[in-house]
Amino acid sequence: MLALTEIRRRKLQFGFVTGVVALIAYLIIMVTGLGLGLYEAAGTALLRLNGDHLAYAANSNLSVIRSRLSDQDVAEVQALPAAERAAPIGYVAAVIEFAPEESDTAAIIGVIPGSFSEPGVVEGRSISGPGDILIDRAWVRVAGTRVGDTLALPVGFETREFTVVGIVDQGYFFFQPAMFVDLASWRDLVFIGDANQQPAASLVLIQGRDLDGVRGEGWRIVTKQDGFNNIEGVQAQQSTVDALRYMGLLIGAMVIGVFFYVITLQKVSLLGILKAIGAPGGYLVVQGLLQVLIVCVVGAVLAVGLALLTEATVLSSDTIPIDFTANAMATSSISVVIAGVVGSLLSARQVASVDPIIAMQQQ
Amino acid sequence: MAILELRDVSKSFGSGARRVDAVREVTLDVDRGEVVALEGPSGSGKTTLLALAGALLTPTDGSICVDGDDITNYGARARTRYRRDRVGFVFQGSNMVPFLTARENLLVVGQFGGVDRSALRRRADELLDQLDLTPVRDQVATSLSGGERQRVAIARALMRDPSLLLVDEPTASLNFELGSRVVDALLSEVHSRDKACIMVTHDDRMAQRADRLVEIRDGRILDDRPLP
Repeated sequence: MLALTEIRRRKLQFGFVTGVVALIAYLIIMVTGLGLGLYEAAGTALLRLNGDHLAYAANSNLSVIRSRLSDQDVAEVQALPAAERAAPIGYVAAVIEFAPEESDTAAIIGVIPGSFSEPGVVEGRSISGPGDILIDRAWVRVAGTRVGDTLALPVGFETREFTVVGIVDQGYFFFQPAMFVDLASWRDLVFIGDANQQPAASLVLIQGRDLDGVRGEGWRIVTKQDGFNNIEGVQAQQSTVDALRYMGLLIGAMVIGVFFYVITLQKVSLLGILKAIGAPGGYLVVQGLLQVLIVCVVGAVLAVGLALLTEATVLSSDTIPIDFTANAMATSSISVVIAGVVGSLLSARQVASVDPIIAMQQQ
Repeated sequence: MAILELRDVSKSFGSGARRVDAVREVTLDVDRGEVVALEGPSGSGKTTLLALAGALLTPTDGSICVDGDDITNYGARARTRYRRDRVGFVFQGSNMVPFLTARENLLVVGQFGGVDRSALRRRADELLDQLDLTPVRDQVATSLSGGERQRVAIARALMRDPSLLLVDEPTASLNFELGSRVVDALLSEVHSRDKACIMVTHDDRMAQRADRLVEIRDGRILDDRPLP
């Protein structure tokens, strides 16, 4: 096959193009991974909660940070006929010292022990009451904390010891590893003092149907996905990452297109000769597109290898929020291949339009 | 019996004041086993006539028949098939596929379809042998000498056993000795395989080796005579 033979015999030329395609594909995979990583870090802990809807304080503008619900609000939501199950949950950020002079921030989520809002553990046991805490795997990776260890959480001007009783796989909330405590402890973490001034919850997690848009005097309900999308910065962050990805694909299509267009221009006389000796235009177009496909597929495969190498080395420290999934890699790679083929359609048109008469004009 | 029959063939380019009549009312027959040398100065219409016979151009007027088939009004696909199956081209400067070996340059015509690949491989080896190219059969085209390239071009033109060979300045880039060997190889193949051949040349010494000499000026045939 002419396309394969040319690639084999012109290794340097096609190797260079393949390298450029690999770098473009690598960039797109990294940006996609960054988008996924940021998405995960923004609030997978919220998305993975076992419910369909969330009730926010009416005046919170769907901000988990600003949402404060009273006992009456929680009771009203729980009493809704469409709400099959409803459980209050709380959120607060806390700085935790996990080793001498080493601390990090965690998202402390308060739940009612034994309720459907409490996540399942992957190691250890569930919370049984005050003093117990569940930590996410992400925290284990950062701090090395194990089941049975204790963590000191700030309560007022003091700290209170919590025993790690289990490990969960809920991910992050507001870019912080999630931890789960009982709701009474969460209230103390948020505000210790006059019990009348303590909020009952940040949100109410609900299982039920047709609840989107239902409102009360001090609360409103949205779907869990809407709640996630309203996490501060999530929309802007995802739009930015998407824009970067689409720009990368556009630039990739243009670069690959220009490369193959230049290669085609260099071969115009050869294409004319081949047409003059009986090569159908369709055959030559197919050969050209086959070369683009081979270069793009090999480039994409190299990029995946490079991304996996990056994941195993640079990203192993967990400090850069890039997440590679097989699906994201496959999608990015296929996108690059498609962008490359689309970008090279101009070359295909050029190949088809070569007049074989030029074979007689080679002086 | 004539393989190629041109009847009152004309070819013009452009229109109005820019109209150029490259070929004017040319009538020419080329018989089986005959090599016709087409001679004339630059711009006389030699190459255009060759391109018309090879269906690279369509005539403005007149008709062209090959093996009794009128190819004048062939569509694009039919012209491609005609060039693939019934005509062998030898271009000026050989025009090999540069990244293929001598043998692969012969086999490339098999990739355009319509032929048994194994038969084609046997034919390629046979032609390489006949044209003394076996020692260089696996050399890439760019490493071949000018004479070797032209002989590979002749072999490629014969690969599909066409009835008509169209040869454009086959010795233009070669010295006399090499050019003579190339023309000898061409004449030998045409005569032994009973092909018809038109050979465009500037070189009168090469033209004199043909069976017939046709002189062309300003798109018209000036002289058409057999050679001893």
